[in-house]
Amino acid sequence: MTEAIRVDHLTKRYDGLLALDDVSFDVEQGTVFGLLGPNGAGKTTTIRILTGLTRSTGGAASVMGLDVARDTVRAKQRIGVVPESSNVYEEMTTAQNLIFAAQLYGVPRREWAARAHELLELLGLEDRARSRVLELSRGMRRRLTIACALIHRPEVLFLDEPTTGLDVQSARRLRESVGGLRDMGVTVFLTTHYIEEADQLCDMVAMINRGRIVALDSPEKLKAGVAGARIVEVSFSGDAALSDLNGIGGVLEAHRLGDKYRLTVSGASDVYGGLVDYARAHRINITGLNTLRPSLEDAFLRITGETPGDAEAVKTHGRNP
Amino acid sequence: MDWLVRALYIAWKDIRVYYLKAPNLTYGLMMPVALYLAFGVTGQMNPGTLISGLVSLVILFGTMSIEAVAVVMEKQTRTMDRLMAAPVSPLTIVLGKALAGTFLGPLIAAAVLLPLTLYSGESIGSPLLVFLAIILSSFTFSALGVLVSSYAHWVPEAQMYANFLRFPMAFLAGTFVPLEAMPPWLQTATKVLPLTYSVEALRSAMGGGATPTYILDMMALALFSAAVVAASALLLERSRG
Repeated sequence: MTEAIRVDHLTKRYDGLLALDDVSFDVEQGTVFGLLGPNGAGKTTTIRILTGLTRSTGGAASVMGLDVARDTVRAKQRIGVVPESSNVYEEMTTAQNLIFAAQLYGVPRREWAARAHELLELLGLEDRARSRVLELSRGMRRRLTIACALIHRPEVLFLDEPTTGLDVQSARRLRESVGGLRDMGVTVFLTTHYIEEADQLCDMVAMINRGRIVALDSPEKLKAGVAGARIVEVSFSGDAALSDLNGIGGVLEAHRLGDKYRLTVSGASDVYGGLVDYARAHRINITGLNTLRPSLEDAFLRITGETPGDAEAVKTHGRNP
Repeated sequence: MDWLVRALYIAWKDIRVYYLKAPNLTYGLMMPVALYLAFGVTGQMNPGTLISGLVSLVILFGTMSIEAVAVVMEKQTRTMDRLMAAPVSPLTIVLGKALAGTFLGPLIAAAVLLPLTLYSGESIGSPLLVFLAIILSSFTFSALGVLVSSYAHWVPEAQMYANFLRFPMAFLAGTFVPLEAMPPWLQTATKVLPLTYSVEALRSAMGGGATPTYILDMMALALFSAAVVAASALLLERSRG
């Protein structure tokens, strides 16, 4: 396979602040690549440099073999960009926005209508072609922004926080669309702070923290890299004290999650006996017990050395995905 | 010529989104009409001299204001990023924006020129030369709108920068007070104001001939607009950090 994107020792400083620190990675053609990290980690800066919207301070970046700093216009012709906030013209209709995007990217006039129709259908906006953007919901505007970025059939699509602020249904539909793009051979580069989104969508994930890439691998390999630790979720018929649960042999850390307790344990089987003994001693029943594999969130926290509290900006359970 | 085609698409988009709105269209018209009533009807100035100044003024206020606002609006709604992410150079974007004003300037100018000439009985010496002067003035002032909004982040800020240029020009470019009546140092100062060349060119054209003054004024306007477009494109390029 060949690289759709190549990033080589990329550095970016804003007024003395180091936003990107020697970032390097490659993205293979036809894959979905996720750049995962908390807010302010450097995700948007990376995407802005790759799409020619911002210049790097050092290093190099290329898309489809074209240097984004030196061959900017030609590189832009081969990519589509969906920024974090939907930037379509509110005063224009859905169809007018698509046609304007086609004009900007030099799509032949005879293909404007057909391509617009095809994308409106793909993204579920076919009945809103004549609606002004002002009349569209947030999710619809997001899908229209994606449609505008696809009108010239780019080889690489950049999505910056694609589902941020969307309702669950719109976010799911959008993720399905991303999967469809990969099937069509489009390379997708997305940034997200929703860990589960990266887990579901990406073939490869780079974790970025404080401007540095701290891990780069497939989601499964990253999760497998969290050696030793396992997660046990347990619920009781009555309340349990976290300090008691932390005292059970084999429990490394205990948190309350809604009506259940999440225990990070050195070995799942080591704690079962302790939990049963605890329940008996306190005359409560165990109403649920699940052993979970480490999630991408666990991998992120382990790799960055953050605690769940420190990494609050990285959204996980009960959120959008 | 692909870049010019894309610049024209940007221009047409700007006209649809920002220009064709009643408040924008009337913005530049009210003041010239009031000034004509004050100076022309009352006999304070020769109507023929006044009309060419008012036409230049209406182009300046109309195109420069709208384009300055359009650029800031594009920044605020992040649609400028859409243009910057597209395969077009900053020069194409600036040209597109300046061309939007160039298409609309003649319409705004006609809305003042035709009624005032009919009312005053003044004749338009050379319609073609008048039209060319209006086109070049519209392009220049529209590009000036792009330039003044380069550093602005919100609309009042853009209007403030625009006012720094518009108001000195409105009263010092020979619109109401003949340049000859000004002290020599002020006459020299007016040479850096593009409105001076626009007013002079229109007066010559209204007089009927492609005089050396007309040709020199048009050349000055062309040079000025080229410099403004280049500076705007450079600033847009630098905005990439």
